[in-house]
Amino acid sequence: MARVAIDRLSKTFPPPTKGGDPVVAIGDISLDVEGNVFVSIVGPSGCGKSTLLNILSGVETPTRGSASVTEGDRPAHLGYVFQDARLLPWRTVMDNMMYVRDDGDAGAAKAALYLDMVGLSHTHDMFPGQLSGGMQQRVGIARAFSVEPDLLLMDEPFSHLDAITARSLRDHLQELWSATRKTVLFVTHDVVEAVQLSDRIIVLAPGGRIFDDITIDLPPRSPRQKPLVSRRGWPLRASGRRGPPPPSRGTRRR
Amino acid sequence: MTAAPVAIPEAPTPPGGVRRWLNSPVGAQVTAAVVFIGAWQLLTLIAPRVPGPIEVMQFLFVEITGGSHGGIVRGQFFEHFAITLQRFSLGLFFGFVSGLLVGILIGSSTLARALLNDTVLVLLTMPAFVWAFLTTMWFGITWQAPVLTVAFASFPFVAINVAQGVRAIAPELRHMSTAFEVGRWKHFRHLTVPAVAGYIFAGLRFAIIIGWNGILLSEWFSGQAGVGFRTRYWFDANRYRGFVGWVIVFIVFIVLVDRVILNRLQARAFRWRDQKEVDFIEIQEQQVGL
Ligand SMILES: Nc1ncnc2c1ncn2[C@@H]1O[C@H](COP(=O)(O)OP(=O)(O)OP(=O)(O)O)[C@@H](O)[C@H]1O
Ligand SMILES: [Mg+2]
Repeated sequence: MARVAIDRLSKTFPPPTKGGDPVVAIGDISLDVEGNVFVSIVGPSGCGKSTLLNILSGVETPTRGSASVTEGDRPAHLGYVFQDARLLPWRTVMDNMMYVRDDGDAGAAKAALYLDMVGLSHTHDMFPGQLSGGMQQRVGIARAFSVEPDLLLMDEPFSHLDAITARSLRDHLQELWSATRKTVLFVTHDVVEAVQLSDRIIVLAPGGRIFDDITIDLPPRSPRQKPLVSRRGWPLRASGRRGPPPPSRGTRRR
Repeated sequence: MTAAPVAIPEAPTPPGGVRRWLNSPVGAQVTAAVVFIGAWQLLTLIAPRVPGPIEVMQFLFVEITGGSHGGIVRGQFFEHFAITLQRFSLGLFFGFVSGLLVGILIGSSTLARALLNDTVLVLLTMPAFVWAFLTTMWFGITWQAPVLTVAFASFPFVAINVAQGVRAIAPELRHMSTAFEVGRWKHFRHLTVPAVAGYIFAGLRFAIIIGWNGILLSEWFSGQAGVGFRTRYWFDANRYRGFVGWVIVFIVFIVLVDRVILNRLQARAFRWRDQKEVDFIEIQEQQVGL
């Protein structure tokens, strides 16, 4: 069970033009995520969602505050699904899967297993350029799951894809998640997607602050039991019996 | 107003015999060679001191087979060629490896860039003959002079190209490596090197050409053996067919290295990029098969 502890984190980038103002990507965020939960992070473009994931994965360093991802008392092991597939174009699909692992043949079996789970067992020896965008993205998802991470970071993994491909990948993701129950931080623009997939939704506002933190308390989900969203934007059960949740439904923190 | 009639382009007629011959790779090469030799022959009519192609071929035959050039001078080809090749490979190895390392340093670290970039640029502007002179001054008539000439002359071309390639590596891929905690050596081998491969080849091509120039000059000035030495030998003996013959030898050598070795290596390194078309068909076949 991974634990994400973010304490008064901020990240400021230098001004894009000389004499301009520095860009505040994240302004003072505190957040705790623990256990095998699926947490979505939504918010408008530029509010620091990707930056947050990049800090958690060690690609960026915080300006102030701290962020740590631990598994027990050791640093957690991460998987990352990016907006684009980010495969090495000069390596085959299988070699791309092996690129992120340190083990030999045992790892190959595992990599093959996860490729199979996203329906790509026939592509082992192909180069990414020979796959469609959706297939490449599936390799990216398989790669992230195959390292069996303690924490899985996903940054708008479906936003580059057409609606039908996105839906089928979402189903793949739900199946993988139900099978593995990782701790997931999932960035999206799409509120419906967030509601469908998550146990908890964190809403960021421009300037990189937490605007809302909603816990969704629906029965265990499966691809065939998708919650609906009412006109007012509240989640409903597929049966439609559940009305808009009363304010106390969500645990809010501001 | 009526719209102007739109001309519908006609399907291009298939090229006729001569055009097709010229468009085929072999046809183009053979034609170019024939034209070149014809022009050369014509030149000998205008300038009688220029040795003609047949004369030169006869010379090369004697030189390569070790026959007699008339009198006591015998053909010596392989001894000189082998010596030059050894020195060339050694020098190129040093120049290439150091160029690769320095290029990667400059490309990946701003400090290294600040320290080394200008130095490499200065080296880049040095003509090969400067190295040939300098190394002869330093080492005299020894094997080190030609080897170091090749190394010095080729090094900056590799370094500059590789540095540029490293700087062009997509930051997204580097982020991916960091996020998955990929080790340094793996990152170097599977990300840096393939990403920079095109630049490495460009650098290597320059390095070979410049290095080859360098070794000929060095041997010309200070050699006791080698291709450059032998070329000068014939030049000093006023035997221009010998001189031209050896010039042809080094041109042919460079072309062969380029075509046979470099092109194959490059095709291998870029398999991932060039395979596309064929394999889309394969994918379709596989999907039909499923
Ligand atoms: N490497 C960087 N250098 C400078 N500024 C950056 C950098 N990365 C992000 N920013 C700035 O930080 C802010 C937040 O960027 P970020 O990519 O985290 O937004 P986001 O919420 O992921 O947006 P989107 O939904 O469009 O992906 C933006 O204003 C962006 O311009
Ligand atoms: Mg983003």
